Amino acid sequence: MNSIMAAVPLLTVVVGSLFLLILEVFLNRENKSYLGYISLTFLVICGIICTSFWNKDYSYFNGSLHLDNLSIFFYIISLLTIGFVILISLKYLFLQEANHGEFFALILFALSGMMIMVSSTDLLIIFLGLELLSISSYILAGFRLKDVRSSESAIKYFLLGSFASAFLVFGMAFLFGISHSTSLLAIVQHLQSGTSFKLIGFMGLGLVLAGFGFKIALAPFHMWAPDVYEGAPTPVTTFFSIGPKAAGFAVFLRFFHIYWHSLESSQAIFWLLWVIAVLTMIIGNLAALRQTNIKRILAYSSIAHGGYLMVAVLAQDYTSLMFYLVVYLFMNIGAFSAVIALSKKNKEFLELDDYSGIGFQYPWIGALFSVFLFSLAGFPPTGGFLAKFYVFSAAVRQGLVPLVIISVLTCLVSVFYYLRIIVYMYMKEPFHTVDVYKENPALFLVMFLCVYEVFQLGINPGSILVLIRQALISLPVF
Amino acid sequence: MIELFLVFLIFGSLGILLILMNKILGPRKTNPKKEKPFECGSPYLQDKVNTLPIKYYLVAVLFLLFDIEVVFFFPWAMIFREMQPKAFIIMFFYIVILLVGFVYAWKKGAFEWER
Repeated sequence: MNSIMAAVPLLTVVVGSLFLLILEVFLNRENKSYLGYISLTFLVICGIICTSFWNKDYSYFNGSLHLDNLSIFFYIISLLTIGFVILISLKYLFLQEANHGEFFALILFALSGMMIMVSSTDLLIIFLGLELLSISSYILAGFRLKDVRSSESAIKYFLLGSFASAFLVFGMAFLFGISHSTSLLAIVQHLQSGTSFKLIGFMGLGLVLAGFGFKIALAPFHMWAPDVYEGAPTPVTTFFSIGPKAAGFAVFLRFFHIYWHSLESSQAIFWLLWVIAVLTMIIGNLAALRQTNIKRILAYSSIAHGGYLMVAVLAQDYTSLMFYLVVYLFMNIGAFSAVIALSKKNKEFLELDDYSGIGFQYPWIGALFSVFLFSLAGFPPTGGFLAKFYVFSAAVRQGLVPLVIISVLTCLVSVFYYLRIIVYMYMKEPFHTVDVYKENPALFLVMFLCVYEVFQLGINPGSILVLIRQALISLPVF
Repeated sequence: MIELFLVFLIFGSLGILLILMNKILGPRKTNPKKEKPFECGSPYLQDKVNTLPIKYYLVAVLFLLFDIEVVFFFPWAMIFREMQPKAFIIMFFYIVILLVGFVYAWKKGAFEWER
């Protein structure tokens, strides 16, 4: 059903960001902390409106954007991500002198980009959302103006990101050239029927894949991730590690659901994705072993998790893909907020040596961080275990046994660098005093919510799986 | 068509080859004097170029921004007659968004030259 009412969730976020942008220039410096709470209000309103559209299956703007259950599910994922990022950045921005009011407006712009991306099946609209997301991200990465590394990460992300966008548009041009349409369904049908333009279609798909692979940091295109993640302010890094990934995999889900079902001769693309998944897992996990900076370790770990998500795409099991994304959201935000908890005025403790003895000095931070690391490594009874279990069992059912063997082996490797942080926290004498700024209730709220969700998803995942199945109904049936 | 392509290929590659030949085959004798920037034969006076403020870039960026935004008025004017009331509402929202950007730039002091 086509209704302008369905645009309300997106409009709420856009109006919110414009409102914050205007408000920012009229507020004086002392009152800037209100901006965070106002942006949270807009997020809550948007969330409530979103949930009221559940099971209604609207579309708007002449069908170019859909508000089906799948979109709403990814809207909620994005809203949760942005909400948590805003909560953990409330104090951080003050402490690290990054308190420019544009932060909240920009992060809402990024959110609207993600919302456009996940709710469309049209390549141009997807690109529009992607650019909205990317341009906000480039600015956010350089948000600590006085820090050279922050500026470096912003310029790196901007240059490489624009190249990736160029590849993406080039690929879209190829796909449009052969099918005379920008709709995903029409493109796939043309790829299936047209025999004369097979090579051009393959090139187009490859280039589009490269563009998206860059945004979600898949292996041959992951080079930017560690540097950008290290240099960007930590809440922004949190956002980078989840937001673009969730949106990119939503697009993958919509595309490959059509692609796997309608194309017999998709062997080349299948093996391309297979190689990308394997490379992502191996490179992400092996490179993380040598890192001593926590943010770099988590950056490589997020690359590796992208590989596991690719396994779910290859296994054509979207329930496990979405479950993994949900669990990944909570455990990664938890881990990053533990990193943010260990900071004080103008100083963040990011080296592994800083973490020695933290477990006894700050028992709450240490315990919660350990839970998130166990979950990232995939230990029961946390959500990380179940997420990996669902993905790998789906892949085995699909007959991808060599792929699963490689994934499980890389998981084993990953246990080393996750547990090394815990060993530093509990089994080493402190090298030097680490005095952190403790009065940060919003951050601890986020950490406790995340730890609750990590256990809830690990022990009792039933309700979320029901929601995911309802969301997947809105995919086209073949 | 293919002949034209070949002509471009041959002469293009020939040009690149000739430039590279110079690099590869030519003798390379350097000394510190030779590496210095050329300043009409007289000795070099200062180490680096003085920094100068570039204020104009902000104006250029803003000009580009609003100029490109105005481009969207042309397709609007083309279909204006067919969808009269709807077109006004759409353009109203568009201009509101433009105004937000304008007010933001103004209040941030982007139009003030001396600051």
